[in-house]
Amino acid sequence: MLLGNTQGEDPMPEDALPARFGPLPLGIAPIVPTPGYPGTFTHTPSQPLIRRPPGRTEVTGPLALHHKLPCGEANLAEPTPGRPALGQLIHIAGQVLDEDGRPIPDAVVELWQANAAGRYAHANDTRSAPLDPHFIGNGRVRTDAEGRYGFFTIRPGAYPVPGEAVWWRPPHVHFSVLGPATLSRLVTQMFFPGDPLNPLDHILMAVPGAAARERLIARALPPAEIGSGWLGYRHDIVLRGRRATPTLP
Amino acid sequence: MTPLSSHTIGPFFPAAFCREGDNDLTRITPDAPPSRRGIPIRLHGRVLREGGLPCVNAILEAWQADAAGRFRHPADPDWQQADPDFLGWGRARTDAEGRYEFHTLLPGGFLDRAPHLDLLVMASGLMQPVATTLFFPQFAEANAADPVLALVPPPRRRHLLAAPDNAGGYRFDILLRGSAEEETPFFES
Ligand SMILES: [Fe+3]
Repeated sequence: MLLGNTQGEDPMPEDALPARFGPLPLGIAPIVPTPGYPGTFTHTPSQPLIRRPPGRTEVTGPLALHHKLPCGEANLAEPTPGRPALGQLIHIAGQVLDEDGRPIPDAVVELWQANAAGRYAHANDTRSAPLDPHFIGNGRVRTDAEGRYGFFTIRPGAYPVPGEAVWWRPPHVHFSVLGPATLSRLVTQMFFPGDPLNPLDHILMAVPGAAARERLIARALPPAEIGSGWLGYRHDIVLRGRRATPTLP
Repeated sequence: MTPLSSHTIGPFFPAAFCREGDNDLTRITPDAPPSRRGIPIRLHGRVLREGGLPCVNAILEAWQADAAGRFRHPADPDWQQADPDFLGWGRARTDAEGRYEFHTLLPGGFLDRAPHLDLLVMASGLMQPVATTLFFPQFAEANAADPVLALVPPPRRRHLLAAPDNAGGYRFDILLRGSAEEETPFFES
């Protein structure tokens, strides 16, 4: 099998696995500073990042972090029984995998998102879109022995980014994954398949490789497979390596 | 005032993900007793963006070896001797002035490495987290031999040294973006 090859993402045979924790292949890291996102022009380091061989500090990380960061809030859609959040009920589930495709158990997976109106329940989100008293919009779970995670939530709304030329963030879900090593730390976003705002999003489009962008988009499960309770999405997250899920803020 | 678009882009990292005590590396659970195997220190500083302005609501994550220079992780050959009560990991958020703080133990060195602590910074305006490593000035000899510090151009190395404060702690400021002389050195992560 060959992987996608666009804008510098080299095709590589399946058996040519990179050295563990090698540098990311081209096409995965977003282009910075990012047009349309003024903050990236004032926060992105101006000097090139210094390459260092991974040492003991970087290949290790806290094990059993779920003792420090309590896990378990997997139902964002109905945190209080009988008081569901507004919006389309969805289930997002997948596996957290390492660079060799092996499942990562006991990873801490944090999710946060806007409500159905595109508003975050966060002091810094001062947009006028309504808050939903039954939707806080964040949760934290721990992957099981097969690296699986899952959240019940609602489909977030799009939200506008004001500026000289207004643009909209497509519906997206933020993920933070704390894996087994400092080098496998990942913060990213998940997008919904087929949304017309996806190709117009300055953040998604900052990822140069088309195959890498594809890995940020969840797969819709056939409704016949999941019944009438919710829409199902499958989203695997790969920490590092040639098929890494790209980092996004 | 029209908000800067950085404010409306987020990320709106939830307050619930950065609770009191998460910035304490010496406790393996929120209510565990702190490890006492080492010298307790308070590490604090500011995160700044271009122009030296405070970077508000930045998230920092710290990771370091225990006081004897061991990590409780199988990639460390001596992990079974690592301090079982020391987590070595913590998370902090910057306030309105860009200030953060951690509570930890002075890390130990190992192999050819001087005592150090890895820091990851996430913030609105950063498309990817940035990684840096801080060192302690009292270990001048070990610092001079440290292979990671040696990769940093000599005029920039001083930015990776924490400054002792007058209360037994250390101050470490991070300038995300500035001139080549002033900007904090960051590493590929
Ligand atoms: Fe967002």
